[in-house]
Formats: sequence, structure tokens, C-alpha cells
Amino acid sequence: MFGVWIGKLVLLLLSMLRKRATSLPGKIALKVSPRLLRKLGTQLERCIVVTGTNGKTTTARLLAAAMKQEDPIIHNTEGANLPQGLATALLRHTSWFGRLRRKTALFEIDEATLPLVAETLPIKVAVVTNVFRDQLDRYGELDTTVEKLLAGLRKTDAVAILNADDPLARHIGLSYGKTVLYFGMSKEHLKQEHRDQMRDGAFCMQCGHELQYDGFYYGQLGDYHCPNCDFFRPVPDFVGHFQESRLEVTQGQLPPVSFQLPVRGIFNVYNALSAIAAARVCGLDASVIQQGLRQYQPPLGRMQAFPTRPHTVLNLIKNPTGCDSVLQAIHSEPGDKVLCIAINDLAADGKDVSWLWDADFELITEDDSVVKCVTTGLRAEDMALRLKYGGYPESNLSYVPELEAGLDHALELARASGDVPVYVLSTYTALYPLADLLKRRAHNNEPAAMYRPSVS
Amino acid sequence: MNRPLCIAHLYPDLLNLYADKGNILTLKRRLEWRGLEAQVTLVTSSEEARPGDYDLVLLGGGSDREQEIVSRTLRRSRDEWKAAVEDGLPLLAVCGGYQLLGEYYQLPDGTKVPGLELLDMVTVAGSPRLIGNVAIESDECGTIVGFENHGGRTTHHHAPLGKVISGHGNNGTDGHEGVRYKNVFGTYIHGPLLPKNPALADFILQTALDYAGIDVKLEPLDDELEKAARTAFQVRRMNLSEVAAQTP
Repeated sequence: MFGVWIGKLVLLLLSMLRKRATSLPGKIALKVSPRLLRKLGTQLERCIVVTGTNGKTTTARLLAAAMKQEDPIIHNTEGANLPQGLATALLRHTSWFGRLRRKTALFEIDEATLPLVAETLPIKVAVVTNVFRDQLDRYGELDTTVEKLLAGLRKTDAVAILNADDPLARHIGLSYGKTVLYFGMSKEHLKQEHRDQMRDGAFCMQCGHELQYDGFYYGQLGDYHCPNCDFFRPVPDFVGHFQESRLEVTQGQLPPVSFQLPVRGIFNVYNALSAIAAARVCGLDASVIQQGLRQYQPPLGRMQAFPTRPHTVLNLIKNPTGCDSVLQAIHSEPGDKVLCIAINDLAADGKDVSWLWDADFELITEDDSVVKCVTTGLRAEDMALRLKYGGYPESNLSYVPELEAGLDHALELARASGDVPVYVLSTYTALYPLADLLKRRAHNNEPAAMYRPSVS
Repeated sequence: MNRPLCIAHLYPDLLNLYADKGNILTLKRRLEWRGLEAQVTLVTSSEEARPGDYDLVLLGGGSDREQEIVSRTLRRSRDEWKAAVEDGLPLLAVCGGYQLLGEYYQLPDGTKVPGLELLDMVTVAGSPRLIGNVAIESDECGTIVGFENHGGRTTHHHAPLGKVISGHGNNGTDGHEGVRYKNVFGTYIHGPLLPKNPALADFILQTALDYAGIDVKLEPLDDELEKAARTAFQVRRMNLSEVAAQTP
């Protein structure tokens, strides 16, 4: 009881100071009362966890948006996914008498934390997004991650929702021994070509033989099998098929259901697919899920989709490294596209634009699917010059310094090219004006029924 | 068929602070667009650079620490470099690379990092840093525009690359920017330097072609985009800094 008081007191204090409190109250409360998680956890009716290497926060937020449609839930929204973060989220909904006011919790949990907390929470559903290697711990760490996830899962009776396209997740599924459901992409999306991306787990975890792939989605995700033993990609229980901003999900023999996605990028399609699968397992029906997705607010400028005509996706770029990962994501998007790149050089952007030459724009200048490029902003011409020297054909390149005119020109070109999507890249000071312009253009477009949940 | 022009980018692993990659790319493309070939060699800090192997050498900018390493490495073959420069080796040195051409670079604590002593030039660290958009007028290549960001104040007794129209230049006091000596081009201007200054890029390329004995006179290119970028810079940025200068 004392732990609850201390925790709530810290929470109150921090909120009075207008400080963000995502971990500290829980940390202090756990110090005072180490059994706090168990004490509060047992009051929950059910707990859903999202874990894995990449996409935890987005997946959990998408799922939360859907679940909130039915019942208020407890959720560690800010991605505070260690024990103190979970405790803080619980404390927020605990009365001074130590009673939990909400009965469902949805937690994003760090892979290494899962085994530590699995026994204290009534985990009914556990989503593992994928198992990738972090750049930093490149060697030997992968097996440990798989082991930790398994150890965590084994302490629960949860329905595990795993990525069928990820051989490491499949290994977890085979070793778990309890109920497992798989999600995966439709084989139509398989690609043969692969740039030199790292392939984690390219060896069979059952027998050590090198895995063979009949195509890739991205990274190690693909249609794999072991030529030496009976390890292979399972047929997913939830199959995703995506086109631009729509994701069609087929669950077993049921008719496919189509969802409008608030996020873009193949990695986000996976996040949405796993969130939809988990929502279905939790008993939500398609219209509720669609309603939740509609209310989802993606962070500004991170593959943020706008239902304009044609579709637009807004991205913040501010330094070579961040810019490269955005370019990589756009490059991995299938189909023709138009790029609109807004470069300002005000104080908040950095007055020196030489970084544009350090970023790997060659990734898109060498990409035939980028049919047109429009540069805009105070440094529109500098950006155009960068693309010209990067080898982009000048005939497909135009510069329109004024933001609104530049954006509209890009939209015009995209319409003329057969309604292909426009990827908007922007430095900081142009981001908010562009987001406003896009919102307005999306608004005018609303009669086109972009949002109507279609059940086909 | 002419032989390719051999361009060396010295120590891109240490000196690549302000997108020197863009300078190399510009030189390469402007040769290609004229049906000529460039052979670019990236010389890393673990390798020995031999001035005799190249027709044109680029020395970029880096942090103080990295510059010190480069200085130590290059000084081992200092005499060779000195002879090559006197013989007319085209050398483009930007920011930190520019400072390295002189006798020394004096750090804020008074320590003098010895330079290559190719030129009669010294640099002394000062405060504040001289940062901002810059435009200079050069006799050979007209207006040169870009961005400068340096703590060092450089003084020398050679001809400058140009006279400052707007910005700080070598030291913020004498109105000079950069250095011109034989076929050496030294400057604080990056952004990078060459894409937006095609006249300078071509002048350097022609110098290198002549030095290499490749008998080609460079024909003008369609530099519409380059001109637009220069005009936009002068209108939007030079005016803006004038306004900024008037505001207290």
C-alpha cells in the first residue's frame, strides 16, 4: 500500500510541475514495494503485451486505438517499456486505496523485460512484431533475444501472435508449445531483388543449415524453408495484402476485410497487420478496428499518410542519417511515386545546407520508380542541384521555391502520372506548413469516401 | 580517346566535415557530361598519398583533432608535396585542408599545430567562429558563393581567391577570402563549394587537364540549374543577411 501512495504522490508532484512522468513514479514505487506489479497486476482481467525488436510502439498504439473503442484501457503510451514504465501506467489508474479502476491493460514490453514481468500479469495475448538485430549488439545477441522472448512467453498461457515471415519468430512459435497464431504478407508482395541488407537468422534455428528463400519482403522477412529439415514458413492465420494506403486482411476462410491505414512503409504495414490480428483475437470486430485506426494519430512527419488525391506521405528530414533511413523506406515502397522535397535553411533547420550532399539521395536518383521530383522551399534550387549531380534526369526534375505552389505542382504531376503517391520530405520549418496544407487538401477531398470502412 | 583525369580525395575518412563528396561529384560529372572520364581515388589515412600519382588533389575539412592527424601523416612527405606544388600540381583545399597548407594552426591554448608549409600563411584560432553565407568576387571565375564556418583567422602574403562581397573571409578584417598560388586553390567556402560555382569548377578542371597534358578545351555546359541556384542564393540569402546586419 505504501508503494502505491509514494508512487501516486510522485505522479501528482510531477504533474503539478508539468513534467512528463512515464517512469520515475513507478521506479520509486517499485523500490519501496518490489511486489507492486504483482499486486496491481492481479487486479487486471486481462493484459495484452506487444514485444519484439522493431515496431513495438507503433503496433501497440495502433492496437490501443482500436481497443479504446470498446473499453477504457491502461496503456504505456510513451513507449516506457521497462518495469518502472509499466508500474507508472498502472499507478495512473490506481485509487489511493490501491484499487485498479480499469480492467484491461495493453503494454509494450521490452524483450529483456518480458521474462521479468510475465508472471505478475494476466497476459492473455502476446504479439511479437519481429526479431531483428540492433546495430550495436551485432554478435551473439540474437540468440539471447530469442531465448528471452521464449522464457517470457513460457511463463504465460498467452495466445502468441507471431510473424510467419520471420524465421526467428517461427522458431519461437515451434518451441513455445502453446497456442500460436501467425500473421504474414501475401506472397504477391515477395521480391527477388535484395540490396545488401543484413539478413538476421539466415540459418535454420532447428538444424543450423542455411535457409533458402523463395523471395523476400524486407530484411530477413520472406518465404523461407530449410533444405535440410522440415522447418518452413507456416501458412499465416492472418494474411495481409496491401495496396497504397489500404490493407486487406484475410483471416482463415472468412471473407477479406479492407482497412484504411494511417501509416505507410512496409514495416508499418506489418505493424498494422499484427495490431489487427491481435485486435481480432481480443474479439474486436472489423468496424471497431477501422474506427480505431481512423482515430490513430501518428507522430508528425514519420511516414505520416494524408488521404489527399493522390495519397501523400509526409516525412521529416534533418540530417544525413535520418534522411537516409527515410530514403530507404521510400525506396522499399513498391510502385511508381513522385517526390516532393522541401528544404529550408532557417535557424531551426540549420543554415548550412551542405548536409544534403552527405545524404544518400543516390538511392532515389537510381530508382526508376521515382518518376518525378519537385524541390521546394528556400533552398529548392540547391536541392535540385543535388539531385542533378546525383544523376537524376533533369527532364523529370523541377523546382518551385514557394511551398504551396511546389506541393501542388507535385500533386499535379502525380495525378498526371496515374494517381501515384507523393512522398513529401521536409526540413523542420517547412514541416508544419506542409502538414497544414496537406490536411486542408485531404479535407477538401473527403467526399471521395477515403475513410469509409469498406467491408468487401 | 583521352586518358582519364586522376583525381585524389585525400583522407575522406578524416576530412569530410562539409560534404566534400559534393565537390568530387561535381568534378566527376562535369567531365562526364563532356565525354571525358575521371578516375577518383579515395586515399584513406592508412595509405600514403603520392602527389606524383595525381592530376588534381582535394583536401577537405575536418575537426581540429582530425586535422592534426592529417598534418602528421602528410608532413612525412612534405618535400615531395612542396616540389609538386611548385611544379604546378592542381590542389583544391577547403576549410581545414586550407589551413593545413600554411606554416601552422595555433590552437586557443597557444599550441601550434604545424602545417605542410607549402604557403607563406598562418592561422590563429579566434572567437567567435565566423559563420554564415558568403560571397566573394574572384578575377578568374567571377562571383563565388557558399557557406563559411571557421574559428581560425588566416593571414598570408599571396593573392586571395577573391575579395569579400558579403561574409567574413579569411579573418574577418582584411576583406580577403582564400588563397591563389600557382595551381593551388584554398578557401573557407563550402556548401559544398563547387556545385554552385560551375565557373570555378571548370577553371580548376581546365587547370588540371592542362597539367595532366590532356589536350582538351572545356566547352560550356547548360548550367541553367546552377545559375538558378546562384541567383536564388544571391537574392534570398545575401539580401536576408543585409537585413539581419541592420537589425541590432
